[in-house]
Amino acid sequence: MLTIEAGADGIVVVKGRLDAAQAAHAQGFLDQVSGTVTLDVAGLEYISSAGLGVLLKTQKRLMGSAGKLRLAGMSPHLRDIFVYSGFDQLFEIEPAR
Amino acid sequence: MDSRVPHPRLSALDLEAILGVTTALAQPFDLTTMLAEVVNAAKQVLKADRGSVWLYDPAKEELVLEVATGIPAVRVPATAGLAGACAQSRAIINVPDCYADRRFDPRVDRESGYRTRCMLTLPLIDHRGALVGVMQVLNKAGGVFDAGDETLAAALAAQCAVALQRVRMTEALIEGERMRQQLELARDVQMSTLPSAMPAIPGYDLFGTSRPAEQTGGDTFDMIPTQRGLVVVLGDATGHGIAPALSVTQMQAMLRMAFRLGADLATAFRNVNDQLAATLADDRFITAFIGVLDPRTHRFEFHSGGQGPILHLSAATGACTSHRPTSFPLGAMPLANLRPSVTLDMQPGDAVLLLSDGVYEYQDPDGQAYGEARVEAIARSHGARSMAALAARILADVEAFARGAPQQDDVTLVLVARAPATAARRFARRVDALPALFAFTAAFFAEHGVDVALLSPVDFAIEELFTNMVKYGRPGRDEVELALARIAGGVDVALTDYDVEPFDPTQAPDADVTLPIEQRAPGGLGIHLTRRLVEELEYRYVPERREARISFRKRSDPARQGGA
Repeated sequence: MLTIEAGADGIVVVKGRLDAAQAAHAQGFLDQVSGTVTLDVAGLEYISSAGLGVLLKTQKRLMGSAGKLRLAGMSPHLRDIFVYSGFDQLFEIEPAR
Repeated sequence: MDSRVPHPRLSALDLEAILGVTTALAQPFDLTTMLAEVVNAAKQVLKADRGSVWLYDPAKEELVLEVATGIPAVRVPATAGLAGACAQSRAIINVPDCYADRRFDPRVDRESGYRTRCMLTLPLIDHRGALVGVMQVLNKAGGVFDAGDETLAAALAAQCAVALQRVRMTEALIEGERMRQQLELARDVQMSTLPSAMPAIPGYDLFGTSRPAEQTGGDTFDMIPTQRGLVVVLGDATGHGIAPALSVTQMQAMLRMAFRLGADLATAFRNVNDQLAATLADDRFITAFIGVLDPRTHRFEFHSGGQGPILHLSAATGACTSHRPTSFPLGAMPLANLRPSVTLDMQPGDAVLLLSDGVYEYQDPDGQAYGEARVEAIARSHGARSMAALAARILADVEAFARGAPQQDDVTLVLVARAPATAARRFARRVDALPALFAFTAAFFAEHGVDVALLSPVDFAIEELFTNMVKYGRPGRDEVELALARIAGGVDVALTDYDVEPFDPTQAPDADVTLPIEQRAPGGLGIHLTRRLVEELEYRYVPERREARISFRKRSDPARQGGA
């Protein structure tokens, strides 16, 4: 299961599992955002390569108009995936609070 | 059969037409032919001037006129006109005078120049109760449609609905089969680009293998000897179906081309990345390890785009170092700044293990992933055996771990090992040769940094096994070979005796160390202790060469001592 919705202060909150089955749903939501968007991933339990593809596609689109995705609240497990896939070099990751 | 409405006018000709429809509909043909067949039969049986079948498109909520004799195809909302009304109510609508019915849409007539008088409209419902389409017949010869025509038309409609569904299913099957064939072809192309034999690089043991998953996966690997050294590639494209299979093949071709043209590692990595970034879909990328091994300097320089972990097993320490990727996956974005490459110093016996995530993420039936720790444990305990054997051990362990859980992703292993430091010398098969054996062993330990704490048990075992050979060896070639190999955390030892009868000291019974001293014989105790001091004591006899070989290994890793 995956929920993705607009939270307070324009932050997008994503929770659950972002796998191949949920990728289209997440992409549909993220296709609507613009500018610089903070994605709260504290509740994101799992991400597959299909999920990374969704974030990548969104990042490319936003960067095309001087915006970007900023990831906040990343768990150590998620951080490992970003580091091991080199995706930490593609996204601004807010330090854990 | 619906027998509520009697049908007194069913002529032999009508019956023949309906039976003709049934027969025609049972034959496999395409949708257009089938619909034309139904409409022609309906016209004949109902003595109608024209007929048409609207197909229902549930995705768009539209009715599609695929066949109408003399009228081109059109799409209308599934609520429009008499056909729409029938689709909504799913009941037969019999209109004797269309221009008096508000639901009738006269535009079709205006466009075609035809004049519709009366019309019978029937829903086509499949056996699961889903609406498939709507059939219409117009202008009955010499009058209007009556209750008898309705019954007849309903029978035809039922035939038509079933046949329609069958044709659609057949088409879906054909489409599925076509997809499967295309996928198979793409996989064949992908697999055919894998090296069929490993290049021979003196002083190195190379092994690569890829086991494709049934449906998906985009793994590739390559080993290309070039001027700069051996190029080693492991790639994994994201996604499912044909696209990843084709994109890794594309990447592999680009890399081969780049290195053949003399590109250095960074140039090849950067250019292939940027080219892939320009051609791959926005949400696709390829994780890839690209390394260049110089077999003269033993430096293994690599860039890794999101491909990790990269495991480096050190023979000297027995430790496994896990390296991170140097960059993001290939094709994710054009490269602005490429971080420095990483260079591994390949010492004798060192191995680099590159495994696709199909290994690390292989799940058992409980959803547990195979993980990195298991690979490291096998690598550390493997020692100086061949990389083909190490790959087989890892694959067997993954299979055991899976307990029958299906392979979801491609599984690819690329193993690169530098030959271990070895030394061998022949010694006279005489007890007074022992000091020379000990000197040889000590020198090997010192030269290759083997833990000196291992020297005593190794010497003990060598002495015991050597003296056994002296004692039981028959006259012949009076030499014994002592071979040493540096392995992770220790040493591999083999003594080979030539031109002898088989005699396996490892089968000697254990000495009974509980007997009182006066009952104990000196024999047997040496082997008894050897078995406890060293690991993997093995005897092999080759009858053709009358050759007896006894080997063991000794490692300082305390975790390994427990089971010995």
